[in-house]
Amino acid sequence: MRRLLAAICAALILVTAAAPAMASVDVLGLEQQLKCPTCEVPLNVSNAPSALRIKAYIEEKAADGWTSNQIEQSLVQQFGRDILATPPKSGFDLIVWVVPAVLILAGLVAIPLIARAWIRRTRAVAPAGVSATAEELARLDQELHKLGD
Amino acid sequence: MIAAIAALLIVGLINRNVNNSIDQAIAKGERVPAPGFTLPVLTSTAGLPAAGQQLSLSQLHGHPVVLNIWASWCVPCTDEAPILQSIWNRYRSEGVYVLGIDVKDLTGDALSFHKEYGLTFPTVRDGEGNIEGPYGTTGVPESFIIDRNGNIAAALRGPLSASGASANVNGFVSVLDSIVAERS
Repeated sequence: MRRLLAAICAALILVTAAAPAMASVDVLGLEQQLKCPTCEVPLNVSNAPSALRIKAYIEEKAADGWTSNQIEQSLVQQFGRDILATPPKSGFDLIVWVVPAVLILAGLVAIPLIARAWIRRTRAVAPAGVSATAEELARLDQELHKLGD
Repeated sequence: MIAAIAALLIVGLINRNVNNSIDQAIAKGERVPAPGFTLPVLTSTAGLPAAGQQLSLSQLHGHPVVLNIWASWCVPCTDEAPILQSIWNRYRSEGVYVLGIDVKDLTGDALSFHKEYGLTFPTVRDGEGNIEGPYGTTGVPESFIIDRNGNIAAALRGPLSASGASANVNGFVSVLDSIVAERS
């Protein structure tokens, strides 16, 4: 009886020890960060045979207690960085994140400058004042009256 | 900057096109140099680098090579695996190498596949599938016969099949026979 109780306690300890390791991997989140190597769509929405095998691999490794980072690194080692849905924010790949931000900032700075220069040029080209003869002004009045009717 | 982005887009679009220069040359009865590669060995054989080391196609220069691009998740690959093994069994004494290139596959799955089908020919790993562009592959499996001078003599876009309407092994082997007969 004591042995049975000890065995049950040991099993419970093992289960509780393993539980946090499994729970630490957000399998769906990890699948969203990866691409199917054959169809290039996010892993979580792909049912391609290669994607199904990678999904199974993620499940297996998560059950073995691997962290998300360990699983991701292992897949990058096997499939290269192309398996990542978004490039890492380090090393040469940082350029993918930096260039669009720089372009947006450059655009935000350039648009007001271009607009200001364009307005200045338009003012310079437009006549300073409007001059009309008495005859023209009378005709304008007539046309406005017509429109008023 | 806009010009640079446009250039990158054009390069990207060009690279998406399937390279069919190999098939065009073969259709004209010509041979084209087999695109070179250096890849890690998954399973080896006598005279080649051990598993984990790098193998270059150029190291097989002087030998006819049956190059087979495959993956463990590919169903037709399971059907042609015994055919490739029989080609290896029959021709290895003639200096022919059957060389598998396992693409876009889990290493463990590829090793299990080799074990399950009793494959003893060497295989290299190309997890990223970099080989696909230069060889113009559109899927797996595909097989190529490379002559002793490193030129592609035949390209089979699809599985080797021994029976039914799509049987093509005899034609493939007859090309291999003629390549083996070409003594340098």
